Amino acid sequence: MANSIVAVIGGGPAGLAAASTAASLGTEVVIIEKLGFLGGRPIEENYASLTPHLRSAEEAMGEVIDHARSFPSLSVKLNSKVVSASGDAGNYTLELLTDGQPETLEVGAIIIATGFQHFDPGRETQMYGYYEFDDVIALQDLEAMLKEGRVQRPSNGEEPMRVCFVQCVGSRDRQIGNEYCSKVCCGVASKEAIEVKLAIPGVEVFIFYIDMRMYGYWESQIYWPAQEQHHVQYVKGIITEVLPKNGKLLVRGEDTTMGRPMEVLMDLVVLSVGMEPSVGTREISQILGVAQNKYGFIDAPKGPLDTVATSRPGIFAVGSALGPADLEDCSSSGGFAGARATAFLSSLARA
Amino acid sequence: MATVTFDPYLKLEHAAGFADVAHEEKERLIGKVMADPRFPHYLYGCYECGICVAACPSARFYDFSPRRIAQAAARQDIDLMFQQMEEDIWECSQCFSCLRCPRGNNPGGIITIMREVAVEEGRKSAKAALEGYSRIIYKIMSTGTQVSPDMLQPDAFPDWGPEVKDVSENLSLWRRALPPETHHTTTTGWEVAESTILELYVIWLETGALDMIKEVDTGIHMILEEIMEERLEEEGIEL
Repeated sequence: MANSIVAVIGGGPAGLAAASTAASLGTEVVIIEKLGFLGGRPIEENYASLTPHLRSAEEAMGEVIDHARSFPSLSVKLNSKVVSASGDAGNYTLELLTDGQPETLEVGAIIIATGFQHFDPGRETQMYGYYEFDDVIALQDLEAMLKEGRVQRPSNGEEPMRVCFVQCVGSRDRQIGNEYCSKVCCGVASKEAIEVKLAIPGVEVFIFYIDMRMYGYWESQIYWPAQEQHHVQYVKGIITEVLPKNGKLLVRGEDTTMGRPMEVLMDLVVLSVGMEPSVGTREISQILGVAQNKYGFIDAPKGPLDTVATSRPGIFAVGSALGPADLEDCSSSGGFAGARATAFLSSLARA
Repeated sequence: MATVTFDPYLKLEHAAGFADVAHEEKERLIGKVMADPRFPHYLYGCYECGICVAACPSARFYDFSPRRIAQAAARQDIDLMFQQMEEDIWECSQCFSCLRCPRGNNPGGIITIMREVAVEEGRKSAKAALEGYSRIIYKIMSTGTQVSPDMLQPDAFPDWGPEVKDVSENLSLWRRALPPETHHTTTTGWEVAESTILELYVIWLETGALDMIKEVDTGIHMILEEIMEERLEEEGIEL
């Protein structure tokens, strides 16, 4: 007889949505989270606020976590990792390492919610000097500063008066191999640009972009306010090089729509790094034997009309384990997979 | 705000058709443009999509781009805006085809404000642009109506083509070739009722419209002011 438990691997926004949905349908759910806390990237990487509404990440994720924990049929294993797996749909055996102790978990279905990691700017083929210059940082570094309530130049602790974002770092790049758009960076950079503008009176903020991808409501929720109310300067043209000059950073690129080369001095350069499959996503695909796409994310072989099924029956994937995803995607695919896993188990029970 | 170290749109001093001025003066002039209450309604943010250029008739004939007008304003690029005020804005035909902007911008409107500031300030560029119009200004403001081609200096508008001169010389003949009988005149086209003229004089003087040309054409301004005040005095109208 089929096991009636659903394992959700990963306790970020998508995993929590999947677990809560399955639990709300009466299914027994176990969240397996490798870290000592729930909440995923927004908590792990100290996001200040969430896009697009600028809600405190801790507060918003806190509500999602409390909601998940309110279901009696939902349990959480923290500091827990899947090390191996066997069995088939309806009867999977997961070998875990929880708090360093091995344990076995028998489940009927699995939801992979192992997420993404930020692109490592050290792999960039341009010359941005993330590991060379203190004042070249990435989106998540600025998030952490904003959370602390202190935007400053790491080199000297001073408030930056000229800040620029460089979009598409590690995304849409054949040379790097990440041909996809990471989907959220335009919105996140614009959101952070607004927050920097609000934090430092008189600061000039530039966003250098290939094209702005503010799909759906983000257009008027983030992009227009950033331009119209906060006077963030959007310049179409990508920076190729960052050089040190008189204690500042010289960024070189082209202002393509004005048709002029640019060499501009900045106090702080923020690299809008994209998404890559997390180490956990790469590992779990091997452990569970589910196919990955060419970029290393979990493959969804059925395409756009079935976004959460993987190459193995009874195993679903959600959120940014599937590819670049925003929070809406995470809760939508998470909720979908939670329902799908429950339906899958009841169909086995009926058979 | 200098955003660039090299800018092909900013002309070198020896190549520019206008004299450079101190940065503070540029800030003052452009500040006046930006302080205009219409300005925030004419400029939101620019996608740099070029729809305004695609729709712009002037952009087909001049090195003129309403997109660059909107972008320079959005970027608060004082140097480029000043250059545009001295040159580009006079290439706009004020047709407002650029109003189809998806963001609701009005580059033509920004130009209207820039032109008004240039005229008020008596900028050389405004004087040069209005040079060929002094007779038109005089006629419209003193008689309240348009002029016909025979009243123009024949060389003032080379872009009207070589036929203008020919047409002006034989205007009454050309006019008689037009089907509507009301067009068969070269002398009564600008007849305006007395009461209308008086009303117009009051408007020109009271609204400051006449004073707008004070800095660009002192001579015409003096003559017009005298004509208007004298005529109103005769009628016993006090302002």
